Amino acid sequence: MNRLEILQLFRDEERRSKSGLRQLSAVVWAQLKMMLAYKSWLVMDLLSTFASVVMYYFVGLQVDPLRLSQSGWGTSYLAFSLVGVATSNYLWACLTRLSHSIQHEIRGGTLETIAVTPVNMLVFFIGLTARGYLVSLIYLVGVFTVGVYGLGANLSFNPQSFLIFIVLFMLMLVSNQALGLIAAGIIMVYKRGDPLVFILAAVNEFLAGVLYPLELLKRFPAVQFLSMLFPYTYALDGMRRVLILSASMPDVNVLTDIVVLAVFSLILVPIGLKTLEWGYGRIRREGTTSSY
Amino acid sequence: MNVEEIVKYMAENIPRGGVGAIQKALAFIVRDFKIWWTYKLWITLDILSSLTFVATYYFVSMIITPQALINAGYAADYLTFSVIGISLQHYVFTSVSSLSDAIREEQWNGTMETILSSTTSFRVFLLGESAFRFIIGSYFLLASLGMGVLLGIRLVLNPGSIIAASVLTILLVASHMVIGVLGAAMILKLKQGDPIVWAFSWLTQLFSGVLYPLGLLPDWLKWVGNAFPLTYSLDGLRRCLMNGEGFDSPMIMENTLKLMLFIMVVLPFSLWFFKKAYDSTRREGALGQY
Repeated sequence: MNRLEILQLFRDEERRSKSGLRQLSAVVWAQLKMMLAYKSWLVMDLLSTFASVVMYYFVGLQVDPLRLSQSGWGTSYLAFSLVGVATSNYLWACLTRLSHSIQHEIRGGTLETIAVTPVNMLVFFIGLTARGYLVSLIYLVGVFTVGVYGLGANLSFNPQSFLIFIVLFMLMLVSNQALGLIAAGIIMVYKRGDPLVFILAAVNEFLAGVLYPLELLKRFPAVQFLSMLFPYTYALDGMRRVLILSASMPDVNVLTDIVVLAVFSLILVPIGLKTLEWGYGRIRREGTTSSY
Repeated sequence: MNVEEIVKYMAENIPRGGVGAIQKALAFIVRDFKIWWTYKLWITLDILSSLTFVATYYFVSMIITPQALINAGYAADYLTFSVIGISLQHYVFTSVSSLSDAIREEQWNGTMETILSSTTSFRVFLLGESAFRFIIGSYFLLASLGMGVLLGIRLVLNPGSIIAASVLTILLVASHMVIGVLGAAMILKLKQGDPIVWAFSWLTQLFSGVLYPLGLLPDWLKWVGNAFPLTYSLDGLRRCLMNGEGFDSPMIMENTLKLMLFIMVVLPFSLWFFKKAYDSTRREGALGQY
């Protein structure tokens, strides 16, 4: 066997996947098992969900309904904050979960182990986000249930509004997860980028107006402009229009939100996938899949 | 050498003297500060992220009426009320939770077993670990209050209110160090999902009057807040900083005495609880496990 043949042998890629779905379900199942291993954490998380809704109920008691309605969002601060609080957990999951999980795997030395198995790494990375999505789903359902049935928030849930809400919600997930992919790709290479992602999520949450009407930003045009650069702003605006103002199709504002979110998704998803691929390729080449 | 002699030899307690407890605690602080200082970008971004809370409540204050604050005896200024509330809650929560995180970090890196098998006692270990978290946390507290001042919060400062606020702040730190020790004990046993820190976070947010005066809570819920030192600290500090009250105010005195009582009752219990968890983890040989 000559030198070239030996090199070729080492270069040979094993076929990484026979069934992506099976691999995905295995990764998701592993994540779920880890999550369920910490039962006390789950219980506390559920209780804190309840607490956060009740807290905004009491904050709402201090809100002047006239000033809120002047912003165009009805008179109930509970309903207004409920949509923001319920969905903002998904924003954090989309932006931070993957990069955090990859860092965790690198630190634990398990990313290298998985990389040498015939697992499709893209499937593995998608599977890693499952835990964050599931926790956020529990949070979302919990917040809406406590808010609507426990505290009497007046939100419009009918088949049409639910359908539009789902469309906006899915577009919010796709566009923000694309940002999460970009962050994960960069953090994989530079290792200590977690705070960058956290500040991105915190600033995004602030600029999207999770707890206050964006109309108040009119006094600060630069801040208002910045808020328009994030997909979550449009998603939250659309979801509030549907659930609080009962906007139905074809509502121009909701349609605009959907179109803007679709454009964000179309641009950001390919960039996100490419960045993730670049990051993973680079740490493999540099041999830093288990260094932190 | 017979068996008894070997057992005696192995059981011999190495004297723990030599370097004093304060010196060791200072060494912990210097060590943690050196590690912390290597992440300058992290620090800057962390501060920025905490400032977004203050900015958020600046806008929320624009749609709020101050009537509930007036009824509770505070100055009619929701921005100042909320900035003091979230800054202090964030300060004590990050300090308390970062103590648990530090224990996890030591376990994760395998350094906890190394430190505790040296002549350093667990009390000194706890003091050193927690002191640094509270010192660093005050950096964020000052940043949040500074941001609040820029956004227009109104603090009423006079010699009396400054002295009372300083005493209350010391008691706030001491009382929450005690809670941090309880959380650290839980993390030793459970490894993840420290219920003490979680419960502390959501219960104080809900019942300590961080974002609203406690008068808004129904009577049957008000008592829950009495279990937390943050409730007394917030009420006392708000009266000092918003109303300019000092120790001549009966409310300030009452809050001070309640905080002192909390520390005297809970400190021995939390140390005992940590010792129990520590001994049990050592017996199981799980000190370095994560």
